[in-house]
Amino acid sequence: MTLQPTPVSAAVQTLAPWQSYICHACGYIYNEAEGDPDSGLAAGTRFCDIPEDWACPLCGVTKSDFALYEAPSLDALRAQASDCATAAWTNTSRSAHGVVIVGAGRAGWQLAEAVRARDSAIPITIVTACAGDVYDKPLLSVALARRIAPEKLIKETGVAAARRLKLRLLPHTHAVRICKETRQLRTTRGTLRYDQLVLAHGAKALLPPALPAALCWRINHLGAYLKLREALGDAATTGPKDLLIVGAGLIGSELANDLALGGHRVTLLDVQGEPLARWHAAQAGSQVLQAWKDLPIRFVGGVKVANVERLALNAERLWHPQPAGTACAGQTTRLRITTECGQHFAADEVIVAAGLQTPSRLARSANLAWADGIAVDPHTLRTSDERIHAMGDCVTLDGQASRFIEPIFRQATTIAATITACAPVPYEVRPTIVRVKTTSLPLTLH
Amino acid sequence: MNAADLPPELAQPATPGLMDAVRSIAQGSLAGRAYAIDRGAYPVDLLKQLAAAGAMSAHLEKADGTPGDYGLAILAMAEAAKVCGATGFMMWCQCVAGLYLQASGNPGLTGERLARHVRGETLGGTGLSNPMKSFAQIESLLLKATPVDGGYVVNGVLPWVSNLAPDHYFGAIAAVQTDGPGASREMMFMLRCNAPGVTLKTCPEFSGMEGTGTFSVHCKDLFVGADDIVADPAKPTIARIRGGFVLLQCGIAAGIIQGAIDSMWAVEGQLGHVNQFLEDRPADLQAEFDALAGRILKLAETPFDTSTDYFIDVLDARAHGAELCLRAANSALMHQGARGYLMGSEVQRRVREAQFVAIVTPAIKHLRKEIARLSAEEMPA
Repeated sequence: MTLQPTPVSAAVQTLAPWQSYICHACGYIYNEAEGDPDSGLAAGTRFCDIPEDWACPLCGVTKSDFALYEAPSLDALRAQASDCATAAWTNTSRSAHGVVIVGAGRAGWQLAEAVRARDSAIPITIVTACAGDVYDKPLLSVALARRIAPEKLIKETGVAAARRLKLRLLPHTHAVRICKETRQLRTTRGTLRYDQLVLAHGAKALLPPALPAALCWRINHLGAYLKLREALGDAATTGPKDLLIVGAGLIGSELANDLALGGHRVTLLDVQGEPLARWHAAQAGSQVLQAWKDLPIRFVGGVKVANVERLALNAERLWHPQPAGTACAGQTTRLRITTECGQHFAADEVIVAAGLQTPSRLARSANLAWADGIAVDPHTLRTSDERIHAMGDCVTLDGQASRFIEPIFRQATTIAATITACAPVPYEVRPTIVRVKTTSLPLTLH
Repeated sequence: MNAADLPPELAQPATPGLMDAVRSIAQGSLAGRAYAIDRGAYPVDLLKQLAAAGAMSAHLEKADGTPGDYGLAILAMAEAAKVCGATGFMMWCQCVAGLYLQASGNPGLTGERLARHVRGETLGGTGLSNPMKSFAQIESLLLKATPVDGGYVVNGVLPWVSNLAPDHYFGAIAAVQTDGPGASREMMFMLRCNAPGVTLKTCPEFSGMEGTGTFSVHCKDLFVGADDIVADPAKPTIARIRGGFVLLQCGIAAGIIQGAIDSMWAVEGQLGHVNQFLEDRPADLQAEFDALAGRILKLAETPFDTSTDYFIDVLDARAHGAELCLRAANSALMHQGARGYLMGSEVQRRVREAQFVAIVTPAIKHLRKEIARLSAEEMPA
């Protein structure tokens, strides 16, 4: 008995690696190793052994429409695809995403004005957590004294300003994250792409950890101010309120002055011994106390608030016994403020003006350089990312914040010139002059 | 998630054996059954195999107190979801059911019941879609619990709970009915599907993901005893596990995105000359996805961080995953053309899987609403 030797050609055929063939019509790939069992081709059927009447299982074309297929290397494909992408990018003179601005306070709107003045076509989008209405923040410190009705504080609605400047306004929208690699700003109303991003989201009022947010007002924007005014009512008709303000810096002192002129009784607390202690050398504290001597403002210095709580109705009676029958259903109880040294105060509303701090979420998400605020180049106002600028209350220059109105216009000019590729207008840091709007005796501080 | 594209410190999972085991199941038997699972075949054997391999327990604290590895759990889920999104979703169900059992600290749940769950001998799910929406002030709680001797009696209907069968169980939350004043509260418990008073009813047909063991659950005077209580009150436990709960879901999105990108490259040689005119090309999507994956794995290092900022980051990563799923799956279909539109093609199945990721609780709109709520400055009322 002899074994029939395997023909050499057949052996080579068996040992040859499996091949694939691609259908030119639909892209179906016939793999010899897998065959096409549904059409009666067992696994291991060589392409050349497939009967001529076999049809592509997907689109029905015949064997002659197939060609040998070699899977290309992924690296080569990637390199080829990236060449195309580069070409597409350089061919586009200006991509269409334009400028995205975060914040619709004075800084955000000023920048939008400045960009639009230089370029009538560039797309501008403003993203803001507030309503986006245009107003002058300094007026919040004098609105009662000047008898400005709350609704008159709005100079132009956000919708009207957006229409005038031909920009897209996303009000009540929170900016959540910057994805700088893909130049996207993630927001609670979807993701925006940008060519240039400008952070003008301002700073947030600081709330010492001991003080509960649900009981303490912080007045750093129009929305909160309007709600406070609603809570206070009109002193002339609903009676004066007892207000306690924590912090006698610029904002705390101005608010105390205005609320007292509006007919309310104000207690002003500070850890320092006098108001406006930052301008001690200019004797601002003694001047302002002199100006307040006929107003219902009581200043208590050298105290730190340890606790604010809402009194239970019974506990409050012990504190402030009221004539029988005055407490009616639905009446809100008062707040008790306790200092670290054990003093107690009672108030209808507590306002905290303990300074400002830049929220770090967006800067952190893009790894932007940070120095107690978003660090920007003092001349270009560019952040550490070349496509992101920042301005206004959220920035620091050489580690210094300058949260005043005056620099904003000049900052907007500098950034707008860069973004619209106009001749550069370098920003210069100037000493700030502060006008304290304590209306009975305004102070100018340097 | 392509390990080769990740930063080096993320590329090597702590136990490479687990990833190999998951890959072998995913590329093997799962790949052949993905279409059938999508159309309605519940893969109980595959889920048990995956669980037995450790794919749904990597995030759980080990017996010796070693913290769980959320990143590994997410990578394992992604490896399966790349092949079959429905299976990735059921792995998530099993993962969070294990999380509830462990977080309960209840000896009736943490002992042998947890051990059998981890070994994949028993399977479970989660009915927290409604409570999650309730806590985000989107809808009210559907289950009510009345205190009785030794426990509660629960009534109500949950519309869609997944990874269920008559002998399975899932985590649920009910509003405790209390008379008179006192703060309202919720209690969390493991609901056994075979307990007296529980009926599983078939849901109307969905456009995909039909083999996920999804039922509506009807509770009529269901007694819940101390042995089944996960947390009472529920909120403190929810606050602790909410980050991990949402973060683990990112594994489903990650797999679907990577699967979609891979299917674009699969036709690049033949169709690159026309596909170059499409937006969302595979290299762009891969770069965006790799950055997102890096973020997710970084967040996975601190799953029990209870800060608001951390939770916003988790919600945003989950939203980004869902958005990228939609874009990648849709773009993959554009890249593949007619062959991707065939009924049996993974490419169009993935479009439906991506849509599922975008609408399953927390849906994109819920995520954004919750981020907005958590971002708003709290002021006196």
